[in-house]
Amino acid sequence: MQPAIETHTLNKRYGQRTIVHDLTFAVHPGEVYALVGPNGAGKTTLIRLVSGLAFPTSGTVRMLGENPHETPSVRRRLGAVVEAPAAFYPYLTGRSNLLLHARLAGGVATSRVREVLDQVELGHAADRKVGVYSLGMRQRLGVAAALLTRPEVLILDEPASGMDPLSLHLVHRVLRDAAASGTAVLLSTHHLDEVVAYCSHVGIMEDGALIDEVDLRDRGARVRVRVDDSEAARATLAAQPWVQIAFVRGRDVVFALDEPRAVAHVAGCLAAAGVALLELGDDSFDLRAYYRERLQQQWEKRTLADEPVWGRP
Amino acid sequence: MSALLRMELGKLGRLASVRFGALVLVVFPALWAYAPGIFEAYGFYLVSGFQVPALALLSSMEFLLPLLIAITCAELIGIEINHGTLQTVLLRPVTRAQWLLAKLLVASAYPFLALAFFLLTSLAVGAFYGFGPFVGGTGLGPAGLLGAGLTAPGQAWSEVLQAYLIAAYSLVPIGLLAVLFAVLLMNAAGGALATLATLIVMQLLVVFPGVTPYLLTAQLNAYVDPPASLGWVVALVAFYCAAFAAAAVIVFERKDF
Repeated sequence: MQPAIETHTLNKRYGQRTIVHDLTFAVHPGEVYALVGPNGAGKTTLIRLVSGLAFPTSGTVRMLGENPHETPSVRRRLGAVVEAPAAFYPYLTGRSNLLLHARLAGGVATSRVREVLDQVELGHAADRKVGVYSLGMRQRLGVAAALLTRPEVLILDEPASGMDPLSLHLVHRVLRDAAASGTAVLLSTHHLDEVVAYCSHVGIMEDGALIDEVDLRDRGARVRVRVDDSEAARATLAAQPWVQIAFVRGRDVVFALDEPRAVAHVAGCLAAAGVALLELGDDSFDLRAYYRERLQQQWEKRTLADEPVWGRP
Repeated sequence: MSALLRMELGKLGRLASVRFGALVLVVFPALWAYAPGIFEAYGFYLVSGFQVPALALLSSMEFLLPLLIAITCAELIGIEINHGTLQTVLLRPVTRAQWLLAKLLVASAYPFLALAFFLLTSLAVGAFYGFGPFVGGTGLGPAGLLGAGLTAPGQAWSEVLQAYLIAAYSLVPIGLLAVLFAVLLMNAAGGALATLATLIVMQLLVVFPGVTPYLLTAQLNAYVDPPASLGWVVALVAFYCAAFAAAAVIVFERKDF
């Protein structure tokens, strides 16, 4: 399947400073890809490069197979919010702002404006000026504006910024629905806890580089057991036809099942092998811990690289 | 493109500088029309409603009108930066050149709109003096304000309209220069200040007589008793407009947002 968004060895420099460094990644239709990383990691610059607002110093960007700088018409298939909070004319109402977007996009029926306003639950405030909207309402209006053209690519910079938990839940649902209908979603966020709930992929950025990519779809179906003999348990489980992978993590054994109902066989299988089962549960992936660990590794690697090597000529 | 142009024209009326400018363009002619010390300062009496637009224009073309035009045209870009809506627009399937062209067309239209309004307010406050034949001149013809005998209303209308038209035309490059600087600096105040600084430097260049005929600022006086070489003025102003607009588009096309 052709990626909806694709970059290859993308670099962006401002003067002497490299903001994005040799970045290659892809987002396919139906995926929700979250860029996470500390402030200044280059997430926003990457989003601007991908959406065609900034020019790469080197490397390539493709959106639906086209270069967004050379083929601006590809933006007909893009919905994007790159400002946080989303930017609108404050003297116009929410509805008028969306009508203006619809005119700029072309080919958007007026009824679609009402539809997206309802989708983000802003129908009641549609005729109020955006200047009096709360931060969360502006963010939701931004999502509505991005959805206006039923885009094939959705790019959102910090869509959750300033939102209350209910609005957050609403936006997650909207993004999940968009992905389910085949839209490729790329977003940046600092809300690591929520990311696991609605994203399919996470890209961890640090100092302009993509240091890791996590496929969250693989993570959901894993099971964790705590046993008295983890190596024997791993070997036993790995030999079962209904277990895909099994590995030891600390005192636990983590494994993926072919079919969720196969979990019923785990206890019997381990007992037959003489392994005492102490605990069994979902192996819920702790993205926050993983993220912290990856950043720590990256910083240590850089510190080591920066240290002078004494005695070297 | 026409939808984009209509949209940008609609935004013009929302600009704070346009509203403030409109207020100035109402108050300014009124100051001249009812100033008690005109004779003591300039040695003549206002005798016709046609002289108010002339006085208003004569006293504002050097600084006030270029200032208002520069501020508003720079704000055309600056307001989008302030609201963050520049990126929003550029994410739609509108090319950068199309969007900026719409802004440049609005910036070109603004001097005509502002001077049309200025003429109307000047005539409105000058109505007190009437618009019949009068002894003296409009100040915008060959005989100045003192005139050469009786001036017929038809001649006065013609002189005033022609002067306002030429003045508006000669202000267009100032607006486009302000757009260019605003695009370069991505800032409305910076754009307006850079434009004014450029105009001041140009005014100082009159000490180089060989350069003077080519200066943008020299063309700002063409409305007073239009010279025989009006064609030269029109061509030179058009050249400045084309150069500033092209430079703005080139800069904008490669700008990172």
